[in-house]
Amino acid sequence: MRHLLIYSIIISFFLAGCNNEDWLERDPKNIITDEQLWNDPQLIQSLMANYYDRLPSMHGVFNTGGMSEIDDAMWSGHFDENWRNDFQFGDDYGRYWDYGFIRDINLSLENIDEYSVQLSDDQKNLYKAELRFIRAFVYFEMVKRMGGVPLVTTQLIYDYSGDPAYLRVPRAKEYEIYDFIYSELETIKSDLEANNGSQTRANTYTALALESRAMLYAGSLAKYNNLMSSPIMLPGGEVGIPADKADDYYQKSLVASRTILGSGSYALYDENPDKGANFYEMLMNKGSREVIFAKDFELSLKVHRFSYDNIVRSITEDNEGSSMLTPSLNLVESFDYLDGNEGTLHDKNADGSYIPYENITDIFENKDGRLYGSVVYPGTTFKSVPVSMQAGVAVWEEGQYEFRVAPNLGGLYEDAALWTGFDGPQDNAQFVTNTGFYMRKFVSEASGASTRGVSAQNWWPWFRMGELYLNAAEAAFERGLEGEARGYVNAVRARAGFPENSITTLTMDIIRNERRVELAFEDHRFFDLKRWRIAHEIWDGSDNSEEAVVKGLFPYRVVRPGHEDHNKYIFNRMRPTRFRRARFFRFANYYSSIDPNVLNNNPTLVRNPFH
Amino acid sequence: MKKYISRLLYLMLTAFLAGSCEYDNYDEPNAVLEGTVSYRGQSVGVRTNGPEFELWQDGYDLKKNIPVYIAHDGTYSVSLFEGQYKLVVKEGGPWVPMLSDTLIVDVKGKTTYDVEVTPYFTIEDPGFTVNSSTLTASFTVDRIVGTASMQSVNVYLGTGMLTDQNKNEYVRNIATDDIVPGQQTTVSFEIPENLANEEYLFVRIGVRSGQSNEYYYTQSQKVEL
Repeated sequence: MRHLLIYSIIISFFLAGCNNEDWLERDPKNIITDEQLWNDPQLIQSLMANYYDRLPSMHGVFNTGGMSEIDDAMWSGHFDENWRNDFQFGDDYGRYWDYGFIRDINLSLENIDEYSVQLSDDQKNLYKAELRFIRAFVYFEMVKRMGGVPLVTTQLIYDYSGDPAYLRVPRAKEYEIYDFIYSELETIKSDLEANNGSQTRANTYTALALESRAMLYAGSLAKYNNLMSSPIMLPGGEVGIPADKADDYYQKSLVASRTILGSGSYALYDENPDKGANFYEMLMNKGSREVIFAKDFELSLKVHRFSYDNIVRSITEDNEGSSMLTPSLNLVESFDYLDGNEGTLHDKNADGSYIPYENITDIFENKDGRLYGSVVYPGTTFKSVPVSMQAGVAVWEEGQYEFRVAPNLGGLYEDAALWTGFDGPQDNAQFVTNTGFYMRKFVSEASGASTRGVSAQNWWPWFRMGELYLNAAEAAFERGLEGEARGYVNAVRARAGFPENSITTLTMDIIRNERRVELAFEDHRFFDLKRWRIAHEIWDGSDNSEEAVVKGLFPYRVVRPGHEDHNKYIFNRMRPTRFRRARFFRFANYYSSIDPNVLNNNPTLVRNPFH
Repeated sequence: MKKYISRLLYLMLTAFLAGSCEYDNYDEPNAVLEGTVSYRGQSVGVRTNGPEFELWQDGYDLKKNIPVYIAHDGTYSVSLFEGQYKLVVKEGGPWVPMLSDTLIVDVKGKTTYDVEVTPYFTIEDPGFTVNSSTLTASFTVDRIVGTASMQSVNVYLGTGMLTDQNKNEYVRNIATDDIVPGQQTTVSFEIPENLANEEYLFVRIGVRSGQSNEYYYTQSQKVEL
């Protein structure tokens, strides 16, 4: 009997313990739950930071190596990476298929609705609009590279029925993706107003800037693809936009650009009377009204090594690296002269004799200010330090110049004057320019920026006014509004040091060249050439092509005692030895191939043309 | 004793490794598929490293194409496992793609299979003569596909056999207005100075249609200077 009592007491403990479920129910200490996340603005923001960080680009965001493959430049860095000067665009070049990211965004959008109870409607709408902006940005990157892709805007959840066929989303038409981007951005732009003070989170104008760019792409694809002798298309429209849509797209792009230009919130950066320095500062001075949307870097948190990679050789603060991305002569020549003449440099007379210059910079006199702002050329300075650029000496012997190059950079010639500069240029060498030019754009002058220990914190411009003006110009020109377009182009040129109204008759070629020089190395050139459908003509793979081959310009000091040209400078055009293979863009590269594993998993996907 | 055990362990490990090798060993492909890309019995010259075919094999869950590279003279050769393959003539070559009518090839041992294609243009009867430093080329461009537009015609000079649009020492463009399909064209030009002292040169003519960015080439011909 006594035992029975003890047992029943013990049993009653268990019964009571089981009853208290709250006690067992505890939040995990190492996992943030959805309820916590979606009710805490700070946690949501740090999640957003991750998503903003994952915004895709082809070879943007300070990707030195990638830029040397598709921009007007070559690789002068380590010899091990010389394949960048010796490769062919493969079928998968530029492939981008990131449904992992799309799912993350779709999941977040659904979770806000499901779990957020403490956020105000305004807060929720802002976060959702930002997520939808990022999703539109990702879809734009995909459609640029792959054509129409499956349009997935909700989570795809498997029901374990053994048949996943209902999850296989076929590809949308190419224009459907562009239309999706447009309608998304139109819907969210007013929800983003709360961010209008920010340059690193999406706001109304960021949405409009993406709209301006995406609609311009769609318009030019509709127009120029159909002007090809055999347009690139698929029967289902996954690739190929009907020509009659072009006008509408151009108009949409123009309207978006006009709204930004007329908003008064942003302006072309024009603070420094020295137009060259002004152009350089425009991208380096954070917070300037030029930049609409940027990816920011901060020494204490997140840095990049673009300065370490590309700073002028003798000015680097590190013991390795430097000089990796070196701009081409072709780019330098695409900058016009301020008097309106074409930018071809005058290195030789009509009879083939060299033109001697008193100073090494004289040949670059009176060039578009953006040349100084983008490229370090012989005789100029970086960080207020003069660069030491001279390929060698040109000795007059037996009626012609013989080019002699010093065995060591910075060596002196027999006449005790400079032989080859500390910064080269030197052919077939690493970590010194092989073209005769260095990068200035994006290369930070800040102390320590070129060391690996400190690195750089200048930001990457996703969208800036220079582009918006040129987007507006191109869209207006395509709409037949030549006067309006000319105004935009002239504004951009005036900022670069040209006189007011420097262009009187605008052509498409001028607009294209403006984009090339204004937006060099900003992840535009490759896609511009693609959407104008001229990439296969510009990069035709021919060694005789001026455009497909990266050329260099080497300055030499004349050694000809007693002659009036003695100690003057002459310039020699050359093809760098390290640039091995002319760029060759095939029809197949207009749209990248889809990964075979993706095709295997989803048999409803059609393959891109030429793949 | 300790030594003995460790030796035994080594022995066992070696035996284990050697034994396990068998499991994932496959025989290397032992069959060869080779042939020529031809049009009406004549082989089609292409750019080296240029156009490709694709081979596919059915009967597996996961598929991936096997690329077939074509040599400059139009021949190809692939090492394969024996079996039935599907050969696809993709877009991108100087010929009409055949995406819907797949060619079925049974590969057993050494198999020869000539792939008949339809080029947009061909070049017939190429002939070259050298008179001191002048090269005269005569040829006939034939339009095979009625709708094809003639985009460009070039004569290529090279010091090596692999001469084409991308790799050459000299290229002479011939205005397409001067060329009437089906009629013989004759052009003469000076051999450039840097090539004039060579003992011989390889000469090719290429024609490209607007439908493709690859040229149809004649076979590399060696010309004594």
